[in-house]
Amino acid sequence: MKLSIIFRLLPQNLVYAHCDIPCGIYDPHNAQLATHTVIRMTQMLEEIKGSDKKAMHDVARITHVKEEHSSLIEEELMTLKNDYFKKEVVEKMDEEPWPLFKKALVSCAKARQGIDMEAAKETLESVMQIAEMFYKSKGLSSTRVKAPYPTGLDIVVQKA
Amino acid sequence: MLLNRFKIVGHSMQPTYNENDNVLVSSLPLLFAKPKSGDVVVFEKFNKFYVKRVESIKKGKYFLVGDNKSDSMDSRRFGEVNREQIKGKVIIKL
Repeated sequence: MKLSIIFRLLPQNLVYAHCDIPCGIYDPHNAQLATHTVIRMTQMLEEIKGSDKKAMHDVARITHVKEEHSSLIEEELMTLKNDYFKKEVVEKMDEEPWPLFKKALVSCAKARQGIDMEAAKETLESVMQIAEMFYKSKGLSSTRVKAPYPTGLDIVVQKA
Repeated sequence: MLLNRFKIVGHSMQPTYNENDNVLVSSLPLLFAKPKSGDVVVFEKFNKFYVKRVESIKKGKYFLVGDNKSDSMDSRRFGEVNREQIKGKVIIKL
């Protein structure tokens, strides 16, 4: 008892026992958006010429954004993988989504590590296929349209 | 983290630890033995400290889950945790 009182004199910190309310709100859009950002950042890194101070500064900033959005892709994919594609959802699907998730995460890591347009585009293809699976699993139709971004590539949207 | 007092925020470790419970956490036990399945550990992620239970260990990576599995954000969502991220073990509830 006394020991407990002594321990209570220690400064208090916070530790999070985070809960995760199953809200049912999931969307593959954010992962696609983040992938387009990684592609755009890769394009911009490829376009940088010279090695002066400005070029170095631009490389640092663009790489930072590419890193952030690569993390976002991973986070969004993990949310879909673990929270949306639960056993009861996957059982009703024609095929399991897991190989696609693995493929997307591997190419995402590759796109993150270097200036690798091929890996970035591979990531987008896998993420779009995941989006198509997502809509199909909900009994909804989807379609690929040209994204309104300077990447010049497609995005999967729900068909009206 | 030789000896720290932490206040629990959230419900993911119920019924073992409730929100606002105080726990003592120390890194000392982990100097002599690696975290093992069943240990409740404090780890650092996203610049915050989290508390979860070690469910399994594979190739040096730790899969951590909350005791309140139906309402816990844990390795099922953010993946496995490295040994370096684990800062201490919960010793007692005050």
